[in-house]
Amino acid sequence: MDLTGFGTWLAAFLTLAAFSFLYKDNPFFRFAESLFAGVSLGYYVGNVLNQTLVPNLFTPLTQDFGGNWDLLVPGLLGLMLYMRGVPRIGWISRYALGIYVAYYIGVDFTRRIHGEVLPQIARTIMPLNSFSAATLVSLIFIVGVYSVLIYFFFSKEQNAVTRPIARLGTWFLMISFGAAFGFTVMGRVALLIGRLNFLILDWIYPTIGR
Amino acid sequence: MQAFFHRLLALDRRWIFLLVLISVTTPILVPIGLPVTTTSSTRNAFEYVEALKPGDLVWLSFDYGPSSAPENDPMAEAFLRQCFTKKVRVIITALYPLGGLGLANQAVAKVAAEFPEAKYGVDYINLGYKDGAAAVMRSLGQDITSAFPTDVNGRPVSEFPIMEGLRTIRQVQLVFTAATGLIGEYWITQVHAQFGTDVIIGPTAVSAPKYYAFINAGQLIGMLGGMKGAAEYEKLLAAKHEPLGKFYRSTADFTATKGMDGQTVLHGVILALIVMGNLAFFLTRGKKAGAA
Repeated sequence: MDLTGFGTWLAAFLTLAAFSFLYKDNPFFRFAESLFAGVSLGYYVGNVLNQTLVPNLFTPLTQDFGGNWDLLVPGLLGLMLYMRGVPRIGWISRYALGIYVAYYIGVDFTRRIHGEVLPQIARTIMPLNSFSAATLVSLIFIVGVYSVLIYFFFSKEQNAVTRPIARLGTWFLMISFGAAFGFTVMGRVALLIGRLNFLILDWIYPTIGR
Repeated sequence: MQAFFHRLLALDRRWIFLLVLISVTTPILVPIGLPVTTTSSTRNAFEYVEALKPGDLVWLSFDYGPSSAPENDPMAEAFLRQCFTKKVRVIITALYPLGGLGLANQAVAKVAAEFPEAKYGVDYINLGYKDGAAAVMRSLGQDITSAFPTDVNGRPVSEFPIMEGLRTIRQVQLVFTAATGLIGEYWITQVHAQFGTDVIIGPTAVSAPKYYAFINAGQLIGMLGGMKGAAEYEKLLAAKHEPLGKFYRSTADFTATKGMDGQTVLHGVILALIVMGNLAFFLTRGKKAGAA
């Protein structure tokens, strides 16, 4: 058996071990679960080392230190994160973590406002000065957005006016949850199809010579 | 009848698992070839790529891992086939940490072998994986080489003709992201919003509903929602380009179109189970209340 064949058999065994949980918990499933967690971590570390740290940090520093000395700063910040492993100097890692969090808040704040909040609000505020199918859709959209917002407004007790609107909001929510659930079922079934395709087309058929 | 419904409600769920297994396995062993209808979001994506000219530059990002490969693989491969057929140049990256790069390498090798005339470094390039998706995208808007100084094999990108004169992602006509999780969203809310590059997304079915809001707001060209979206794309591709039509009809490999047989059969079974479960619940509930 060549290496590919061995890999296929191993993958088939691990797939069956994972599926065996559907019958009941067992050592094969536990083994597959632990192996998956370990391999995933090892893969991630190797990937980051070879694809990010080597080309973006180590190689530039070793080949042209004068032109890339500024890379020492992010490199040092990365090292500082590991200081939390030594309790006596663990406080150092907080500075690196603070800078890391601040950077992503900066990136994410612009992304959220400029890329999500403003365009979505703009789409909600539609002109209603003419009547067409699109206007009707926009009206439903506006009613949906505001009724759901009222449902989630907990700062004031609901009264005779807001209660029916909030109830309407729950209907909009139920419809959206239903759509999401339908898509989720489709996604999970797709994963099952993928695994069974592997077992049948890549493992069983070649094994029986079909 | 009552006894039947009582037994149904007390049924060991492992029988349902077995029914699901049979429902999905049967169409794999005996393909049915059920028809696939197309939706406007997939058609818009397809037509956009069809309108690209030879030599145009697109970005294909593998932002998913093995856990969603049956959904995302077929769409990424179909997009790549369409680009190679139309001689559109492709830059490939992977931003998903757990397995995105392996899947990218596998898909690129597979599709490139089908198009021997496509030259690496000229018609396409694989820039590999980079950690920190949002930060990487920020860099792409300023200087692509600062994020990706080398290709996946460690060769400087300046060596490749496809990268000549390419400074930022603003110069790229389109980003196609086959995505799971949040990374697909970043391409829309960061790259499209801040740099103006058009985006098509191929999300997993689980993520698909949230992207309709982006389509409605005009922030997305189109979407291939899960395996169904991928099957739609394959159908459009097969109808438009005869060699690809021949390929999709004859390939022994897994395709989304083949997978949709199992989806349809199992969805029928699930619907039947929901109806039966509800019937059993309501009919036996009345009796229990009466008995009490």
